[in-house]
Amino acid sequence: MGILNHALPNIGPVKAVDTAIGWGRKSSIWPMTFGIACCAIEMMAVYAATFDLDRFGAGVPRATPRQSDLIIVPGTVNAKMAVRVKRLYDQMAEPRYVIAMGACVCGGGPYVKWGYNTVKGVHKIIPVDIFVPGCPPRPEALMDGILKLRDQVGRDAVFARREQAGKEMDGRYAAAS
Amino acid sequence: MNEQELHGKLSGAGVAGLGELDTTGPDPFVVVEGSGIRPVLSFLRDDPTCRMEMLHLVTGIEREDRIEVAYHVSSLEHHHSLTLKVVFPRPEAGGHDDWRPGVPSVADIYPAADWHEREQWDLLGIEFEGHPDMRRILLPDEWIGHPLRKDYSYPSEHGGIPLELDAVPMYERGPDWEREEKVRKAKKEERKAGTPLRQPPAPGSDRPHAGGQAPASSKGQRHVIEPHSGDDDDGKSGAH
Repeated sequence: MGILNHALPNIGPVKAVDTAIGWGRKSSIWPMTFGIACCAIEMMAVYAATFDLDRFGAGVPRATPRQSDLIIVPGTVNAKMAVRVKRLYDQMAEPRYVIAMGACVCGGGPYVKWGYNTVKGVHKIIPVDIFVPGCPPRPEALMDGILKLRDQVGRDAVFARREQAGKEMDGRYAAAS
Repeated sequence: MNEQELHGKLSGAGVAGLGELDTTGPDPFVVVEGSGIRPVLSFLRDDPTCRMEMLHLVTGIEREDRIEVAYHVSSLEHHHSLTLKVVFPRPEAGGHDDWRPGVPSVADIYPAADWHEREQWDLLGIEFEGHPDMRRILLPDEWIGHPLRKDYSYPSEHGGIPLELDAVPMYERGPDWEREEKVRKAKKEERKAGTPLRQPPAPGSDRPHAGGQAPASSKGQRHVIEPHSGDDDDGKSGAH
């Protein structure tokens, strides 16, 4: 991402290369080995043979945030854990994606009123791409979240200017000149 | 042995600080004074006919008029068990969230009590005197207060981590975030205190949204529709 977002115009050959890279990236999402609470059990079931997340190229959890593209946050994030979640997210390299899995992570869940040390949704700490609600979500729900994330990753442009970013750039140039 | 026999055994041995056996509930328990919990538990553990090898849990209960510390012990050899309770009546003055009832630690009699007593200190603020390693066990070390007390005031953030449902996400905070946060908190406190944010309309006024007290000299009256009085023949004098 970064400077490459605005590097080249959105024309045929550039777009073709971009589509190819996007296809490669969305087909090899590497999630991070990370689990907090009971939703992590459900997430392990998704990785395992019955549901087999590897069909979508996302079945190889990496042991370090520096090799990961995706952090699935499965389980209640409390004040003590939030610091660690944020540090792990900060250690990931761009482009990075976040899936919030479960009711607690999407907005506090059962701890929303009387949870004295619960962060009411991990989106208070790190930006979230996909919310998967449920307590815990079915494995199919998490797989649906991964598929939606694949669509989003495939749409992200590497070389060509994204439409919105291009418009912002044009506006900035118009304002400067 | 059942609870009556165990209580009779304890009172027969003349253990100091022993109270009455309460059989009103489904689970009978023995009330023990705070100073007597160590001799009672030592006796129950070491007496060959009691032989309570196992401490299941140490737990705290806060009620309206008291705080209780309950000990569940049982014997695997003789298949009997007993519940002991230390009761702290709530003092008339100062029995709020800064009240710290104290009981001698039993961590050297039953090593299992070590972490249980730390948990009761962490969540309920019960002090265990003579504990070898009294730190918080679940919450962060720098946490303020003991959250399972009834009059605990909830924190809005901890170490920069927002804990409220309507908190601004950390990555969306702009340069003015701290100032906006102050305003938001002040408004929230005002709501909590029950002060109405908007003054109710004055009685007899038929302008429910005007606030009832727009000063006539201020610019605030430019949208205020004056109520029609009786001597207005055409009713157009108030229109702008």
